[in-house]
Amino acid sequence: MVEGVRRARAALARAVAEVSGRALGPYQSAVVRIGFAGTWLFFLLREFPHRAELYGPDGPWSQELAQRLLDSNGAFTVLTWSASTLWFEAVYAVSVLASAGLLLGWRTRASSVVFMIGVLSLQNRSVFMGDGGDNVIHLVAIYLVLTRCAQVWSLDARRARVRGAATAGAAGPVLWGVLGAVFAYGAATGRFSDGWLAAFAALWVVCGLWWLVDRYEPEGEGRAVLDVLANLLHNTGMLVIMAEVCLIYATAGWYKIQGSRWQDGTALYYPLGLDYFTPWPALSELLASSGTAVMLLSYGTVAVQVAFPFTLFNRRIKNVLLALMMIEHAGIAVLLGLPFFSLAMIAADAVFLPTGFLVWLGARVAARRRGVGRGFGPRTAGAVPGARAEREAEAGAGAVPR
Amino acid sequence: MDANGHELAEEAAPPPSRAPGIAGLSTPYRVVAALALGALGLAACAHLALVFLHVAPSNTLSKRHAETIDAWIYPEFEQNWKLFAPNPLQQNIAVEVRAEVRTAGGELTTTGWRDLSAEDAAAIRHSLLPSHTEQNELRRAWDFYTGSHDENGKPVGDRGELAEEYLRRIALDRLTPDHEGGRILRIQMRSASRAVPAPKWSTETTDTQTYYRELPWWKV
Repeated sequence: MVEGVRRARAALARAVAEVSGRALGPYQSAVVRIGFAGTWLFFLLREFPHRAELYGPDGPWSQELAQRLLDSNGAFTVLTWSASTLWFEAVYAVSVLASAGLLLGWRTRASSVVFMIGVLSLQNRSVFMGDGGDNVIHLVAIYLVLTRCAQVWSLDARRARVRGAATAGAAGPVLWGVLGAVFAYGAATGRFSDGWLAAFAALWVVCGLWWLVDRYEPEGEGRAVLDVLANLLHNTGMLVIMAEVCLIYATAGWYKIQGSRWQDGTALYYPLGLDYFTPWPALSELLASSGTAVMLLSYGTVAVQVAFPFTLFNRRIKNVLLALMMIEHAGIAVLLGLPFFSLAMIAADAVFLPTGFLVWLGARVAARRRGVGRGFGPRTAGAVPGARAEREAEAGAGAVPR
Repeated sequence: MDANGHELAEEAAPPPSRAPGIAGLSTPYRVVAALALGALGLAACAHLALVFLHVAPSNTLSKRHAETIDAWIYPEFEQNWKLFAPNPLQQNIAVEVRAEVRTAGGELTTTGWRDLSAEDAAAIRHSLLPSHTEQNELRRAWDFYTGSHDENGKPVGDRGELAEEYLRRIALDRLTPDHEGGRILRIQMRSASRAVPAPKWSTETTDTQTYYRELPWWKV
């Protein structure tokens, strides 16, 4: 009895030390960051010719219609700050830049906030343009702000390696000042709801504090406290992202089980006959012509979706299902013509990829980049993110670069 | 190079005197960190519980706490993962439009029905990256319209009016380039629904007749 209590307390202490001492899943958070920023960037560039029709003030979902809906649902967007085309173009351009910034992990906390503002602004302005893919991006854009997703594979990590601190350089304070000015303008003109006002104010103040302690008291307790708080926030964010992915698959699967078409094994046949989802009719027809293939894929989809959350308790099965789901999404991208939905889902799945695989992938990419273009800064074994992490993965723990 | 090498060596060297995590903090700050840990843990659990109740089918708990759930979920955490579920859509719903036009010559004509969805489908065909303007715009606008109007075509609330105006603008954006010089006076829209035929390998039979739903003429 006493022994049990002692052991439980020791386990709890270890858990607390773990979640407060490290931002867990550095590679997973980085791959989610790269995946979502890349997907949204790709989407914005692909829709660049259609941007005015989708989100512009004179599109079919006009500024007036958008305003009326937003008045009733209170969703966040900066696009209603002005009805001018110039403002819209500026928001679109900043959204592109923020996606690129987040993809590269440049001043990542600020980039992630601006990325989120861009995603929410565009999507909330024209809700009826989106689909499931936009929905995932919307949610993860919010959650990513909570995470320290640039510990590896980022310009911030590189700067920390090369110059000793991620906060080095003048760009941080400049960015902080510019964003602060925009925030002050929005706050002064009463454009934020109370919740967003508090969230942005807290972000701005804490980022300023972090810069100060990182710059002037890197060994001080103030920095240590903020570091612990940032770890806690990151770990919470990662937990929420993982749970969200499980909820997506669980609901998608459980609702399917209730459908007669999923039960009789013909469900997949029907989307293959919908004009809006058959970019390659011959391919769709080919697949639809086999009753057995349709049945196996329909049942397989439901089984995998329902089972996925439970397989997290078994590493090997989880990895097999993860691979299957990524392959299925790649298939959906082409077959049903949903590339951005599929990319977003693959990026979400990636949060569950094993560290060993991600480290291997990182090393491969780094090696290739070294092979292609030399002179990307000094290279020692320790400077390759993958190499150091490999040792960490082997050790099972170890200090993760912040 | 030297400086970098030096820094890297330092990073790999034994950790600084301060232990990582809560253990490295003084008591007052430990309290702050512990409180933060508790608050974040509770917040995450509450958030996930509310999201769960939002995405789950309507049930005892979600009915009882509907107001709390909606207040937290809407507008930013709204989500719907009933992708092709419980059953996939089993019919093609094409949106068509025709117009009454005063031509440049002063003549009053009514155009034939123009299948806007077929144009979308043609644009999507053989595209690796279909645009949201082709795949979602009209399709979801029609869903929005049917979802915000009752059987008799009466708008349900303010959303009904929004949907009508939205559809009208989409149709006009697509019609206008074809009637340069003339003036579009009125437009009418309809949907043509046709079920996807039953699979060849099944014994089922499906009624694949086209069913139309006509909306009233709208003044432009």
